[in-house]
Amino acid sequence: MARMKFICDAERCIECNGCVTACKQENEVPWGVNRRRVVTINDGVAGEKSISVACMHCSDAPCMAVCPVDCFYRTEEGVVLHDKDMCIGCGYCFYACPFGAPQFPQAGAFGMRGKMDKCTFCAGGPEKDNSKEEFAKYGSNRLAQGKLPACAEMCSTKALLGGDGDVISDIFRDRALKRGKGAEVWGWGTAYGKPDNPQQQAPKGAKS
Amino acid sequence: MRATIAGVRYFLLGLMLFLPLLGATAWAQAQEGRVQETQAQRQQVQPGNNAPVWRNVRSGTEGYTSVQGRETGVLIQTQGQTWRELRNGPIALYGGWLVMLVLIAIGVFYMWHGPIGLHSPPTGKMVERFSSFERIAHWTMAISFCILAVSGLTMLFGKYVLLPLIGHTLFGWLATLGKNLHNFVGPVFMFSIVVFAAKFIRDNIPRAYDITWLVKGGGVLSGEVVPSGRFNAAEKIWFWGGVIALGTVSSASGLVLDFPNFDQTRALMMLANIVHVIAAIVFIVWSFTHIYLGTVGTTGAYEAMRDGYVDETWAREHAQYWYEDVKAGRRAPPSGTSDTAGATTAPQIQHGGD
Amino acid sequence: MISVRKFVFAGASLIAVVAITGCGEKEQVVVYQQGKYQGKADTKPWENDPGASLYTTSKWKAGDKSGWENALKSRNQNQNEYTRAE
Repeated sequence: MARMKFICDAERCIECNGCVTACKQENEVPWGVNRRRVVTINDGVAGEKSISVACMHCSDAPCMAVCPVDCFYRTEEGVVLHDKDMCIGCGYCFYACPFGAPQFPQAGAFGMRGKMDKCTFCAGGPEKDNSKEEFAKYGSNRLAQGKLPACAEMCSTKALLGGDGDVISDIFRDRALKRGKGAEVWGWGTAYGKPDNPQQQAPKGAKS
Repeated sequence: MRATIAGVRYFLLGLMLFLPLLGATAWAQAQEGRVQETQAQRQQVQPGNNAPVWRNVRSGTEGYTSVQGRETGVLIQTQGQTWRELRNGPIALYGGWLVMLVLIAIGVFYMWHGPIGLHSPPTGKMVERFSSFERIAHWTMAISFCILAVSGLTMLFGKYVLLPLIGHTLFGWLATLGKNLHNFVGPVFMFSIVVFAAKFIRDNIPRAYDITWLVKGGGVLSGEVVPSGRFNAAEKIWFWGGVIALGTVSSASGLVLDFPNFDQTRALMMLANIVHVIAAIVFIVWSFTHIYLGTVGTTGAYEAMRDGYVDETWAREHAQYWYEDVKAGRRAPPSGTSDTAGATTAPQIQHGGD
Repeated sequence: MISVRKFVFAGASLIAVVAITGCGEKEQVVVYQQGKYQGKADTKPWENDPGASLYTTSKWKAGDKSGWENALKSRNQNQNEYTRAE
């Protein structure tokens, strides 16, 4: 069973912002909305590290917990989605989110927030898959086309991995072993807490 | 000899207790040194170790990002979790119980005591209690307060109380309406507080007889008629504690939340939200008692604020000193005219009770 | 005519019953459980035919969940340059 997750490899991210551009292009997000962003720590000094961040689709999602209208839901693959028809633009999910993922296009005077917009793991929304309505509200539904998030698939250095958590952590583990450093899986402790099954061993032999 | 052994033993015991302490301090100092170490320094000794970077990420320090917006340089902020636990935990739980218990208490009091009536029969002669300006100020405040209270309670408790009853679609529509009303009615309420305070501050200055009134509990239980000024001590406390204090606190915190276009940080908005919710719940619960006493709880009180006139018996029993002052001509009636024409043309209102 | 007292009492007790049901301390959010769908109605990604979408590389039959998962898994390997280099 797939459980969708993101990994960003800080050793590889070169801050090209290709993922940000890919996301904007793929989903045609509204003005002022950035579902994904690249943050550089120690910018310009030795030890500089860049990380691409978006919604991590948390297991115990704070946005879901604080939403006053309960507009969030979660798919079988662990993707956290929301229904824009119910969203009231209160901004509570933006307060609660550790990653700063929820975005609000400005709607009207005094900085009034419009409907929340965030990374959907390229899985659209509650409307019919790949329909015009779904695309207009949530962007592309690549999962329903048998594809993975555009940001991860477009990453030039393969720093950003997106897909089934088991598969991408195998890829990442393999990589970290070969280079002998940088095995930290960024943000997973915050997003997914303790593993579902800590005793579980990685499947032997098969790279799956 | 024995004393020496005992001494050595105590010395050793002391050493055992003290040494780990020394060790701990040294260890802590070493840790502190490491915490201050930058990634550049760490890479000199351990090229593959990114611990200082991850420490930076966890501490919420802002990095560089080309994406513009509020705190976009922060990778992980941890205050959100605290806010979530406070809001969804104790605030929602105890706030909900407070609202419920006060409503139940008011209901029980009404069943047991009934409305506070008049001790003597009404004279039929009316005296002006509130000018039309005062009534407009009061009702602007009251109506905006009710809109804010209902929409605010929906924001906090609607998910658990209303949503299971009416479903997501209707509730989402109502909540959108409520949120927009809340955002736009809020400033109206703030304005009405200023007008209301300026108009009524004179009659709400505490006096010595207010203490007597409070000690006697307003004579509600004893059935005694306790004299007071235009407003009694409980109304004065409601004015200062409710309208002025809670009004200011909830308005100030509400302004932080109402205008998110000044790039205030999430931490500030969450703090404002906590203050706003707590102040508002106390305000709402307190207002229940005011609304009760101003409508079914006191005979003639609602008519006083609706029409502006009360019976002379009502005035003497509920605001004796004020009534005597007006009768003796020591102060003008609320609308300012000192002639008694108002009293004769006043609508005749029945103070029957139910 | 219904007396005010009865009317108020009936109204208050109705509100009390409705509101007290919301007062319990309950789980605020469902924590993700492997493979459980939680929330509102939505079409599952494997329920449509991949041929319907443009430029599709993954193949599975509409409604074939494991087929869809395998298609995604094999596509995931495009992100693994060690297998690509071999």
